[in-house]
Amino acid sequence: MPAERFRQPSVLPGFGLTFGFTTFFLSALVLLPLAALALMAGSMHWSDFVRVVLSARALGSYRLSFGASFLAATTNLAFGFVIAWTLVRYQFPGRKAVDALIDMPFALPTAVSGIALTSVFAANGWIGRYLAAFGIQVAYTWIGVTVALTLIGMPFMVRTLQPAIAEVQRDLEDAAETLGAGRLYVFRRIVLPTVLPAMLTGFTLAFARAVGEYGSVIFIAGNLPMKTEITPLLIVIHLQEFDYRGAAALGSVMLVISFVVLLTINLIHSWGRRRLVATAH
Amino acid sequence: MALGVRLAAREELATRPGRDTLLTVGLRWLLIAVSLAFLAALLLAPLATVFVTAFSHGLGAYLDTFDDPDTRSAIRLTLVSAAVVVPLNTLFGLAASWCIAKFEFRGKSFLLTLIDLPLAVSPVISGMLFVLLFGLQGWFGHWLQDHNISIIFALPGIIIAEMFVTFPYVARELIPLMQQLGNDEEEAAITMGAGAWMTFFRVTLPKVRWGLIYGVILCNARAMGEFGAVSVVSGHIRGLTDTMPLHIEILYNEYNFVGAFAVASLLTLLAVLTLVIKTSVERTGYKRR
Amino acid sequence: MSITLDQVTKRYQGATVVNDVSLDIGDGEFFVLLGPSGGGKTTLLRAVAGLTGVDHGRISLHGRDVTHLAARQRGVGLVFQNYALFRHMTVTDNIEFALRVRRMRAAARRARRRELLRLVSLEGLDDRLPAQLSGGQQQRVAVARALAHKPEVLLLDEPFGALDAKIREELRRTIRQVQRELGITTMLVTHDQEEAFALADRIGIMNLGRLLEVGRPDDLYARPATRFVATFLGAANLLLARQSSRGLSFGSEPVSVPHVEATAHVREHEVVAVLRPEEIEVAPSREALKTTFIAEGVVDEILFSGALERLRVRLGDGAAGAHVVRSESSADEPFLEVTRAQHEQRVFPLAQGQAVTLGVRRLHVLPTPLSSFTVCAPTEELARRLAGHALLTELATRMKTRIAVQVEPSLETAEGDAGVGFGGATVIASRAGAARSVEWLLRRGAEEVLVLPENAPSPRRVLIHWSDESARRATLAVSASLLRHVSAEAVYIGILPQSGSLGAQRPLGMRALLDARSEAQAVHGLDMRTELRFGDVARELALRLAESPQQLLILGITDLTELDGRFASLLEEPRWPLLVVYQPAERPRAAEPARAAADLVRIA
Repeated sequence: MPAERFRQPSVLPGFGLTFGFTTFFLSALVLLPLAALALMAGSMHWSDFVRVVLSARALGSYRLSFGASFLAATTNLAFGFVIAWTLVRYQFPGRKAVDALIDMPFALPTAVSGIALTSVFAANGWIGRYLAAFGIQVAYTWIGVTVALTLIGMPFMVRTLQPAIAEVQRDLEDAAETLGAGRLYVFRRIVLPTVLPAMLTGFTLAFARAVGEYGSVIFIAGNLPMKTEITPLLIVIHLQEFDYRGAAALGSVMLVISFVVLLTINLIHSWGRRRLVATAH
Repeated sequence: MALGVRLAAREELATRPGRDTLLTVGLRWLLIAVSLAFLAALLLAPLATVFVTAFSHGLGAYLDTFDDPDTRSAIRLTLVSAAVVVPLNTLFGLAASWCIAKFEFRGKSFLLTLIDLPLAVSPVISGMLFVLLFGLQGWFGHWLQDHNISIIFALPGIIIAEMFVTFPYVARELIPLMQQLGNDEEEAAITMGAGAWMTFFRVTLPKVRWGLIYGVILCNARAMGEFGAVSVVSGHIRGLTDTMPLHIEILYNEYNFVGAFAVASLLTLLAVLTLVIKTSVERTGYKRR
Repeated sequence: MSITLDQVTKRYQGATVVNDVSLDIGDGEFFVLLGPSGGGKTTLLRAVAGLTGVDHGRISLHGRDVTHLAARQRGVGLVFQNYALFRHMTVTDNIEFALRVRRMRAAARRARRRELLRLVSLEGLDDRLPAQLSGGQQQRVAVARALAHKPEVLLLDEPFGALDAKIREELRRTIRQVQRELGITTMLVTHDQEEAFALADRIGIMNLGRLLEVGRPDDLYARPATRFVATFLGAANLLLARQSSRGLSFGSEPVSVPHVEATAHVREHEVVAVLRPEEIEVAPSREALKTTFIAEGVVDEILFSGALERLRVRLGDGAAGAHVVRSESSADEPFLEVTRAQHEQRVFPLAQGQAVTLGVRRLHVLPTPLSSFTVCAPTEELARRLAGHALLTELATRMKTRIAVQVEPSLETAEGDAGVGFGGATVIASRAGAARSVEWLLRRGAEEVLVLPENAPSPRRVLIHWSDESARRATLAVSASLLRHVSAEAVYIGILPQSGSLGAQRPLGMRALLDARSEAQAVHGLDMRTELRFGDVARELALRLAESPQQLLILGITDLTELDGRFASLLEEPRWPLLVVYQPAERPRAAEPARAAADLVRIA
């Protein structure tokens, strides 16, 4: 077997079978399509590529997609921290049910959350009507997009923060308290720095998720070119017009950004670990 | 044990001198209230609105939705595609986790990155990849047309797109679990003369069964509910290539809100069921990392 | 006094983890709280630090009542078992943390940090992160950090627990040195007796939430007052012996050890003797013995352990009656643990199975009146059943003592004579007319009678009452002896008759309460609550008992007719465990309750 050369010996059987199946599956399902995308984008003339990727409409969609995603992730940073903190540190009736509910946006089909959010935040919806009274229109504006993206990113933020907050050793806070620190000081100097890597990871995850989100956004966004049109929608429109090259160009831009984000998460992880876990001696 | 320790710590904290000042108690309830309000607005209200709208014209109107042949075909298509996708992805998850968790080889982290990829990529791009491959102007477009095989805008396309989007779930659940549990028991079984399959079915599978269930239900929920990728490859042909989420979009855009939310209510129930299974799996002591 | 604890009590989920602890720690003293894990010592330390509140009692630091003060206002330094260093901060930031909180200027902070790092000999490691330090270094940083704000009191919670033996010893020396240099009052919690001996000015031993004994290490080792301390501090053979005017004797053979301070008028009774393994001499024959003979025996096991040789010697027939109570073995076989130094081994080499003669250089008699239990019932079967009573066996196990069985056919009729004398506390089953049986037993030489209802649960509260002040001493001694072995609160109930003017009665009653409390505290180290009630004695006690089934009543009497008189209703058919302590009014009681009287016996 050729596999023997590059793997370390083991008494366990099944490497050839599982490795073969895994690589075949991944090649067919991931590598082949990726190659098609690269070739499709690469076959474009450079100026065509730039024209598609930097068109006014594309730039408008980037602004909305990345801007709203950033806002949503920031919102989640604040509320996600409060929710995670509440769930880990406090005891209150219904805590377990709330904890289980956090995963809802993850399990719920995006189309469902899309139409449901739209009807809740529409001008005549349960919440939308009160906001409309203050002249705030949520549905069919960038605010609506942000709300939908916040919902999508929320479980990622909370689930990343929960273990991190639980891991802040009680002893550390106790120690700080016996040394004379007030609670706010303990929070600022001990809790926050310990949870910081998790916050950054959660932020990045929520952001990455939001940038690519499609289903829950298209219902609540107005889908007006330049104003409320997200980048994934622009790709779909290119595809529907059978402009595969244009779609591939936009898609490769988004893919590159996704890779950068993934890389960032890994860097944050290793940074956080290097900082806190024993390495010397 | 761990829970007991946490409880003791909470109890100790509660009695700590200078702890329960008006300010801290107020802050505690404020934070709880903020959390609950946030979740109520963003989660509970939409969930409730699904059912309220679905039943807004009474039970009859709700049930009428499911008499519609297009709706029925959407449900059937969703179930059929999930019935193909979930077992295949389970098989892949088991193979990939065995290969990655049990062996050390070069290129392992590359495989892991490929497995993580669909989670990081927009579903629209996922769908687009297959359009580029099998679409009319795609790599295999002409060849497929010549042989009269349709993948895009047909069932195979939907299945492939769902597979791409959901294959990481089982593997992502099993790999860390198998790594954490280690190889000792398998190696013991092998040295006692057990065969490969026996080792797998009698030793490994029982150890990871909760993680497997967890991964499979997540995979199923995401497959049935996938919208973006399927939307790109399906072509939205009523009664032929629309799955439930796509059908919701069609009904919604026709201003048939009762119909849209009635179909949505089914998928919501599926999500609730998924969460219930997930919670009960966690109650067995299985902990997700 | 630097640290003063006054009746500190802490409960977790209904269980009392710190039980009425009172303690004074002097300025600059190094005090070690020693005890098995789960004994409540860490909880007590955290209560002093202000990390946990107390349910009852007061805590003062340097005369300032801090009971309700938050941890950060108490000015203590606390060192944790797992260091609890701030992992994202350098050594500098960790040590300067408390100074920053206090807004000290940078130059002053730096100077203080230098001084502290020199103190714990970690100069030059200022910029390291905790992850870059070894365990021992981390704990040194933790000590420096705890001292930075010049706390009045240094608290250490098992600070060496996570370190290996060699580093542990080094760090121990450092901490002792730092403590001496700064003269800071220090309280350290540990379960390691070696550590306690090495560090402590005084040791306090905690078990089951109770502070059992406090004293200098050598004192506690040589003259423990309780079985627990005798066996927890070093190894000890506990033997039941009979003490009389002639001295001590073990078993049936009349070998007696002359008691140095044997009081002539003492009537024969059972005591618990402590024999340290190193104080036992092994000789080939009685003639060769340089010390006082105690028994013949056969060598059962020889273990070589470096400097010392450990022997297990089975006692011969002559001494078989001597009951040896040992912590680890439940078997009733009379073994003695003996250790011998190298030179003894050379003079008289031993082999397994060899017959030897044992002598003792010094022994110590525990001042506990509850030496053992003797179950008393009219038939063999009833006696066996009572001996298996859950509460009784629990008590006997905790007190590391035996339950003897004695059949008394005339127990129920309460007529005629009893068989032999009763050893320790006599136990009977609760039934109708228990009062007469109790009276009959007390008349025939029993000193305490425990009446046990079937299925009586382990008590959470022990009520104490005596009918007459002359019964106080004996009742308190028995109460203290019992309470050391159960995790229950002690409540003394004083009851005055309702008749007459309350105004005149109250001061009298209060004084009796104070006397009771101070004697319990001073003589037995037992802290108890006190309550004053007015009315009929039996009725008031019954009312208090009715509050919960998990209670036990200790009743001290001086006059046997009271059993059938004012206490008749209580003794009719007791539903709660009831311990009657009898102190005849006319003569002093046999057992010396006071610690002071528990004298060391020196022979040869």
